[in-house]
Amino acid sequence: MVTLAADRKSSLRGELESILGVGGVLSDPDELLVYESDGLTLFRALADFVVFPTTTEQVAAVVRVANREGLPFVARGAGTGLSGGCLPAEGGIVISLMRMNRILEIDYENQIAVVQPGLVNLHLSWAVGPRGYYYAPDPSSQQACTIGGNIANNSGGPHTLKYGVTTNHVLGLEVVMPDGEIVWLGGRTRATPGYDLTGFFVGSEGTLGIATTIVVRILKKPQAVKTVLAVFDDIDKASEAVSAIIGRGLVPAAVEMIDHLTIQAVEDAFGCGYPRDAAAALLCEVDGLAVGIDTQAARIEEACRAAGAREVRTARDDAERQLLWKGRKSAFGAYGRVSPAYMVMDGVIPRTKLPYVLGRVNEIVRAHGLRVGNVFHAGDGNLHPNILYDPRRPGEEARVVAAGAEIMKVCAEVGGSISGEHGIGLEKADFMPFIFSAADLDLMQRLKRAFNPTGLCNPGKLFPTKKSCVEAGPVAYRPHAIEEKGLAQRF
Amino acid sequence: MQSGFVEKLPAIVGAPNVLTGIDLSPYVVEGRTPAAAVFPGSVDEVRAVVTLAAEAGVPLIPWGGGTAATVGIPPAHTGVVLGLRRLARIVEHEPGDLTVTAEAGITLAELQAALRAKRQWLSLDPPEAARATVGGIVAANAAGPRRHLYGTARDLLIGITVITGDGSLVRGGGKVVKNVAGYDVPKLFVGSYGTLGIIVAATLKLRPVAEDERLLATRFDRIKDAAAAVRALLAGDLVPNAVVLLDGEASRAVGMTDGAPTLVVGFDGLTEQVEWQSTQTRDLGASFGGRATAALAPAAWSALADAARAAAATPAAVMRFSVLPTLVGETMEQGAGAGRQRGLHTAWAADAGVGGVTAAVFSGEGHQDPAALAALLGEWREMAHAGGGHATLEWAPLAVKELVPVWDDLGAAARIMRGIKLQLDPRQILNPGRFAGGI
Repeated sequence: MVTLAADRKSSLRGELESILGVGGVLSDPDELLVYESDGLTLFRALADFVVFPTTTEQVAAVVRVANREGLPFVARGAGTGLSGGCLPAEGGIVISLMRMNRILEIDYENQIAVVQPGLVNLHLSWAVGPRGYYYAPDPSSQQACTIGGNIANNSGGPHTLKYGVTTNHVLGLEVVMPDGEIVWLGGRTRATPGYDLTGFFVGSEGTLGIATTIVVRILKKPQAVKTVLAVFDDIDKASEAVSAIIGRGLVPAAVEMIDHLTIQAVEDAFGCGYPRDAAAALLCEVDGLAVGIDTQAARIEEACRAAGAREVRTARDDAERQLLWKGRKSAFGAYGRVSPAYMVMDGVIPRTKLPYVLGRVNEIVRAHGLRVGNVFHAGDGNLHPNILYDPRRPGEEARVVAAGAEIMKVCAEVGGSISGEHGIGLEKADFMPFIFSAADLDLMQRLKRAFNPTGLCNPGKLFPTKKSCVEAGPVAYRPHAIEEKGLAQRF
Repeated sequence: MQSGFVEKLPAIVGAPNVLTGIDLSPYVVEGRTPAAAVFPGSVDEVRAVVTLAAEAGVPLIPWGGGTAATVGIPPAHTGVVLGLRRLARIVEHEPGDLTVTAEAGITLAELQAALRAKRQWLSLDPPEAARATVGGIVAANAAGPRRHLYGTARDLLIGITVITGDGSLVRGGGKVVKNVAGYDVPKLFVGSYGTLGIIVAATLKLRPVAEDERLLATRFDRIKDAAAAVRALLAGDLVPNAVVLLDGEASRAVGMTDGAPTLVVGFDGLTEQVEWQSTQTRDLGASFGGRATAALAPAAWSALADAARAAAATPAAVMRFSVLPTLVGETMEQGAGAGRQRGLHTAWAADAGVGGVTAAVFSGEGHQDPAALAALLGEWREMAHAGGGHATLEWAPLAVKELVPVWDDLGAAARIMRGIKLQLDPRQILNPGRFAGGI
C-alpha cells in the first residue's frame, strides 16, 4: 500500500481541488470508507483520494497528476461490481464517474446513443423507451449500475442469450489513456480502421484506461413477448430441457433456472407463484414479431413437457409475466429468508454439461457442510451458485471460499470459464491459471503494457499475484447499500 | 531473404509441403512472387516455421483461401506464404452447446455442410464460401448480407488459438458463449489481416437453421426512394436478416438488367413470420414508389455478398465504406455522380442497415489511368470522412495504391496499435507493412 505523508497529501489535495473544485475531492478517511469496497465486501481497501470529475479533461488532468506522483488510480461507477474490480487495491486515487451521467445524444435513425460513463444503465432505456427503443444489456443491477461499469465488466444479464453482452452493443469509446492522453477507439460507424481496440477495451476491468464517452447501439423493442414457466420434480430433467429447447432450433431471449431452495426463499419473501415443492423451475422467454410468438411459446412448452416437466404454463398477461420475473430477479434478496449470509459465485460451462456440473456443485458444497441455492442463466450455461452460510460461525466463511474455488475448478475442467459476467477483479485473479496457460497470461500482460506501461491504472487486478496488500476476510457478506434499499439484486 | 530459410522448411513439414518456383503461381500477388509457400500439417509445425522465420527475419504471409490476398499493400518479394490448408479439421461440435471449434484452414462451405447436417449454421456469409477459410474470414472480418441481423465475426468469435510472431502458442477467450475472464483477446484478431499472429483454430457461436428464409427484391426508380424505404423499414417492427441496396449496375448480380435500383430484403424464421413480413415489405416498398416486389431464388444470397464487384467483372478498383446508415443512399448517389463527372463507370451495393457500402470502378476504355482513378478514390474517401465514415481501398493496381492510401489514417489510436503489434510480433515478420498505419 502506498502511504502518503501528511504534507504531501495536503498539497496534492489542493492541486486536485484546483482541477475539480472544492466539492470534487474526498480525502477524509471517514468519507473514503464509503469507497473501500464494491458489491463484494470480502475485499476492502482505502484510497488516498476519491475525486468526482465532470469532464473528460478533468479525468485526464487527474490521471496526469497521478502519473507525475507515481500514484495508482482506478475508475469507479456505482460500485455494484462483484469481484473487487474497482477497489483501490494499492491506495492512490479513486476516480468516480458518477457526476458524468448525462446522455449526450440520441440518434434514433441510426440507432445509436452517445452517453457518459456514469449514466445508470436503466436510465438509457427509460430515455429512449417512449420512442420504442431500449438498451439491450440488462444486468440485474441495471437500476443502479452504470454504463461505464458495464464497459469495464462486459456485463451481461438474462437476455444475453439472444441479444449478446455489452461488447455486442458498443461502437466507440473516448478513453483517457493511462498516461492521460485522450484517444477515440472505434466511433459511430460499424467499421473503423485498424485493430478492434473498442472490442478489446470492453471487459478489460479498468486496467487499460478510463472510458469517458461511450457510443452504444439502441434497439427497437420487440413487438411481442411471451414467458413460459416449466416446473420440474427433478433438477436433471430441468437441465436436460435447456438443451432440448436449443436442440429444437429455438432461440429464446432468456432461459433462467431457479432451484428448489431458491424457490422456497422466493415464495417465502414475495409469493411469485412458483410451486414450493418443485425441484427446479425454468423461466423461458421468447420475443420478437407478434406473428409466430404463440407458436414459439408452444414449442418451448412441448420441449419442456417432453423433457419431463410436471407443469408448464405461459403467462397469460403482463402482470403474471412481471410476477414470474420478480421471482427470478429478487431471488438474491430472498436468500435472507433462509440464511444470514450468502456468497454469489459466477462460472460458465457448456450448457450440455449442466446436469453433471450442478451435481458436482451440490457435492462440493455439502462436503464443506454448507447449503447452496442456484438461480442462473441456464441458456448461456452461466451458473450462479449461491453458497449460504453464517458469518458468526468461526471458519464458515473460509469454507465458503474453499468451496467456491473448487466449483471454479469444475467449471474449468468441463471446458468452461471462471467468470461469465462478474469479472476477475481481485477475487479471481489467482484462479486465472485454471483456464489460461502461462503463455496465455503472458500475452495478456504484454497487451496490457501496450496500453498501461507504468501499471498505475488499476493495479493488482486480473492477473495472479501474491503481493496484494488488500485486507481479505474474515468479513461477513453484507448487502450492498443499494441492495438494502431494494434498488438492486445480485445476479 | 536470409540464406537457408527455405531449405530448412522441408525438414519441418516434409518436402511435398514446400512449394517453390513455378508452383508458386497461385500465390503471386500483383506480380510479386513469394520466395516459397509452406503448408504445415500441425500446430507444432506452424510454430516451428514461425520460430524459424522470426530467427531469420523472414516475412510470413498467412494464407487461407487467398480471397483477401490482394487487400493492402502487396507482400514483399522476400516473403514466404504460410498456408493453412492442411489444418482443416472440425475439432469439436457439440450441437447442444451451439458452438464449434475448427482449425483455421477449413473452408466456410465445408464447415457449413457439416453444421447443416445437424441443422445448425455459422451465421457468416461472405463471398466465395468454397475458398474462404475460417481463419481468413476472421482475419479479414469478412461478412455478407446477413450481417444485418447476425453481425460479423466480431460477434461470433468466442475463442482463438494463434501462434504469435515470436512463435508462442497462445489461446484467447474460450469455448463457452459467455466469458469475461481476462482480456477479450479474440477481438484483436478480427480484422487484423494476419499481422498479429497465425490463427490456427477458432471457436465460434452457431445458430439453428431457420424453418424458412426468403429474399424479396423491390425495384425503385431512384436510389433516394429505396433509401427512404430502408429508413422506414428499420424504424418499424420487422426483423429483416438482410437489407441490401443495389444501384442499377449492381442489380445485375440478382438478374435485374434494366438499370433500375433494387432493394433486397431478407427474412428468416417460422414460415408464418416470413409470410407476414413479406407482405408488409411489399406494402412498405410500394408506399415509397417501389414496384414489382418478387421473391429471389436462394442462389441470390451468395451473389448479394459481392454484388458491386461482380457487376464490374474485373474492376479497376474496389472501395469499401462504413458510414452512418442514414447516409448510405447519399453516399451511393454522390459517389456514382463523382465517377460520372470523371467519365468513370461505377457500381454500388450496400448493406444499408449497418452502413456498409461497396463501390467498384469498371475497367475499360480510359479507365486505366492511375491518376484519374486515384483522384476519384481520393474524392470518395473525403466524401465518407465528411459524414463521419471510413473508407478502405479494398482492391486497386499497385500504381493506384501508390497514389491513394489503402487504409484510413489511424489517428491517435495508432500509437496503441503499433504497441500491440510490437508486443505480439516483435520482429515484425507477419505481413509487415501491409496493414493500416504501416503495421
